[in-house]
Amino acid sequence: MANGYAGKILKVDLTTKTIGEISTSKYEEWGGGHGIGSAIFWDLCEDKTIDGTDPKNVITIMGSPLSGTFTPGGGARTEVQGIGLQSSPRGWFTRSNFGGRFSTQLKYAGWDGIVLLGRSDKQVWLNIVDGKVTLEDASALWGLDTWSAQKKIRASVLGADPTGDWESMSGSRDGGRSTQRPAVLTCGPNAEKFGPMASLVHDGGHGAGQGGFGGVFASKNLKAVSVLGTGGVQVADPNALMDARLWLRDYAIGGHMDNPYPNSGGKWPLASLPGYSSALPEGVSSRPAGCAACIRNCPVRSETGSGNDSMCVDFAWYMAHDRIAHKGKTSSATAHGADRAQQLGINVYPLMVLMPWLDKLVQGGVLGKGKEIDSSLPFEAWGSAEFIDALLGSIVNQTDIGKDLCLGLWQCAKKWGRLEQDLASGILALQEWGYPDHYDARIEAEWGYGSLMGDRDINEHAFNWICYWNPMLWITAGVEPTVSAERMAEIVAKKMVPLTDEPKLIDYSDEGIYSAAMAKTVAWHRHYTRYYTQSIAYCDWLFADFVNPYGPDFEGVTPEAEPKFLAAVTGKSQSFEEGMEVGRRIWNLDRAIWVLQGRTRDIEVFADYVYDVPAAPGPFVVPVFENGAWSYKSVVGRKLDRAKVEDWKTKFYSVEGWDTKTGAPTRTTLEKLGLKNVADALEETGKLGSE
Amino acid sequence: MADNDIKKAEGTQLSRRQFITGVGGVGVGALLGGVLTQGFLAPDKVFAVPASQGYLLVDTKKCAGCTTCMMVCSLTHHGQVSYALSRIQITQDSFRSFPDDLSMNQCRQCPYPACADACPTGANHVDAANGNVRTIDAAKCIGCERCINACPFTPSRVEWNGVEKTAQKCDLCADTPFWNTDGGPGGKQACVEACPMKALSFTSSVPVQSEKGYDVDLGHTSTAWSDFGFTGVRGKGR
Repeated sequence: MANGYAGKILKVDLTTKTIGEISTSKYEEWGGGHGIGSAIFWDLCEDKTIDGTDPKNVITIMGSPLSGTFTPGGGARTEVQGIGLQSSPRGWFTRSNFGGRFSTQLKYAGWDGIVLLGRSDKQVWLNIVDGKVTLEDASALWGLDTWSAQKKIRASVLGADPTGDWESMSGSRDGGRSTQRPAVLTCGPNAEKFGPMASLVHDGGHGAGQGGFGGVFASKNLKAVSVLGTGGVQVADPNALMDARLWLRDYAIGGHMDNPYPNSGGKWPLASLPGYSSALPEGVSSRPAGCAACIRNCPVRSETGSGNDSMCVDFAWYMAHDRIAHKGKTSSATAHGADRAQQLGINVYPLMVLMPWLDKLVQGGVLGKGKEIDSSLPFEAWGSAEFIDALLGSIVNQTDIGKDLCLGLWQCAKKWGRLEQDLASGILALQEWGYPDHYDARIEAEWGYGSLMGDRDINEHAFNWICYWNPMLWITAGVEPTVSAERMAEIVAKKMVPLTDEPKLIDYSDEGIYSAAMAKTVAWHRHYTRYYTQSIAYCDWLFADFVNPYGPDFEGVTPEAEPKFLAAVTGKSQSFEEGMEVGRRIWNLDRAIWVLQGRTRDIEVFADYVYDVPAAPGPFVVPVFENGAWSYKSVVGRKLDRAKVEDWKTKFYSVEGWDTKTGAPTRTTLEKLGLKNVADALEETGKLGSE
Repeated sequence: MADNDIKKAEGTQLSRRQFITGVGGVGVGALLGGVLTQGFLAPDKVFAVPASQGYLLVDTKKCAGCTTCMMVCSLTHHGQVSYALSRIQITQDSFRSFPDDLSMNQCRQCPYPACADACPTGANHVDAANGNVRTIDAAKCIGCERCINACPFTPSRVEWNGVEKTAQKCDLCADTPFWNTDGGPGGKQACVEACPMKALSFTSSVPVQSEKGYDVDLGHTSTAWSDFGFTGVRGKGR
């Protein structure tokens, strides 16, 4: 079928070891990725209140109609969902996502996604080569790190080291051939032992990091999934897809290679520079190494092999500490930190927040040899590779403080009797649901609120580049902003279809962050990301592209691009607004699942420090509308007001059509979205929102 | 994994390329501008063909391994996106060090096209109507795969299309029924147009035959590439 879909979803019951199929057409109305994942989870996970390690947990690993095509940022995203292990006080139904080339190979193998049910009695890995799907013995792989496991699996699939030549995968002349290595997704060594911290890793470092999905895999006795496809994907309009690709080229580095927009001009989604060479020691050469079909190519591969496929927080969790220890210079320790986290399958986000917490505990005389929290970790080697190995080794081996860290930071702090005080002071920056502070709720309101109203740190950057990073970079550098606050607000307001009559959508002033406009912004963002980012799977680091230095008067390609590529691939003419409505439907389905899991308004609160401790040291500069004018203003020292946040929540629930007392969706809202069965299920448990 | 893994010429101690070039040395027989090449002596026949008027150049240090080239190649030629149907192959290994982590395997439009010489039916031939591009007429292909085996490079630059049951190879986009743009040596190539890192380019001059396989510095006129911190790339101003 020439619409981007393969037409079938692989269904694997690990308990009975049966391989089956689900017809994609049954779920196509949900788009792909997250939408299909949530809908399948709703159907197949009867009791949504179970724990993430329960064999009845349903894991979905979904591509989208764009997987395998050359839609920039759309060719290779894969969405992972299920009940997670990371959040507190309970593991919410959650999501993670990774790039690389997994969903590309999955599509070429003839599958739109994978559903994993049950628990195997033996340690296994799932081997997919086109239509041939088998469960293999993983006992020899179980204790291996992610890189070693992948190399062994490759050799299994291709029969020893590949020669780089065409390999026939079927033995027949016209059966598929490939020069490619299988794409593997794997958890780390004995990941059941550090489940809440355990990630899934693909290739060198494309990671489904958050949620504890590495632990969920391990709880099912599943080590890895490997896929190699020799087929392809048909698209509705090849010429339109080529035209769209070449059109978008001029909004990214490839269209301006001889005169690129300088890095110093700001951070942008589509238009930013490729690679991550800044994380490597000076003089180490590298290439940008991107996901399949990408137009920007964010990660890196170096001449030392260290840092391969890593980017951003993979490096950042240790970089500041490395630089402090090495007179402001980045040593090889930073890339080593990325490598070890990837190899051991440890989620780097908790590490980002763990380091300053440990530092404060050591400085405070609480943690160390013979101290209240006894530890023989080499704190004197802080900032070096030695410390990385010791710290991460303690987590995967449950030694020293690792035996407590492996429970997840929330549970660890609770065990140490420090949870309340450290969340109150903020030295342990678990901002909401036990998730690490990624961007500060006191500053970047849409990020904090979106995370609080959902299940996790949102990790969605559409507003972050332009409302957080760019104003900060421009004002700190003392340069004239490339885009004024007024122009920024104008562009964004124009592009946030269907909210085009609301001018103050990015007002981050002290008043603006509690406003109805901010409630609309957060709702828009939830709907956009549920559909375009996580279901159709346009990479979050490319889209939404509001502001683009290569665009006319700095206007980016949202909301034109998203429907354009989708139409070329699927043949379906769907407006941006229609897509947003699908996003709203998916968001409401997720909300209903959380309500069934026990979500109520009264537990939707940030950690105490968000309300009680001023945000510092900054710099924190955001667009504000004050005294009748737009400007970029420093909001260092801000903290959130509890009552005003509660008031904002009421506004948000109203915008979403939810019960303002409980935060649960109402029957009217759900039925308007075609979710009558969901309303019925909520009503049966007494949790349906009142009108 | 570099593009100099070449097969041994049957029955000799020499590599196939050494056998071929040994007759006239590196670069001999590769004349500019469509003039007949010097014939290469093979055991029983002389195979004399004009040089191609088009070649793909690659910068393997700029390539980001995104495989967009593979995807657009297959789509423009076959109407579906498939690595297996792509006439350019990027192979890579995340666990190797730059620059050995990746190989760009494009057809070199060889001055002596062993693939065309090997074809018993003339399916694999030099297309005078399209700038002497070495290409395959699927209607004449009998599926013997001699051309696939004859290619001196790994992976073979001629591949087997199990869907349409024919050998196929890079034709510099001379025949792209699913792309509304003129290709061939006189036109545009989908991979060159679509590459987001500008790691592919087209030339009409026969490149120097070397171990590096048309691997050139496409660093462009600006110093941008080194400004990005990719210090491994040679080039102007670096």
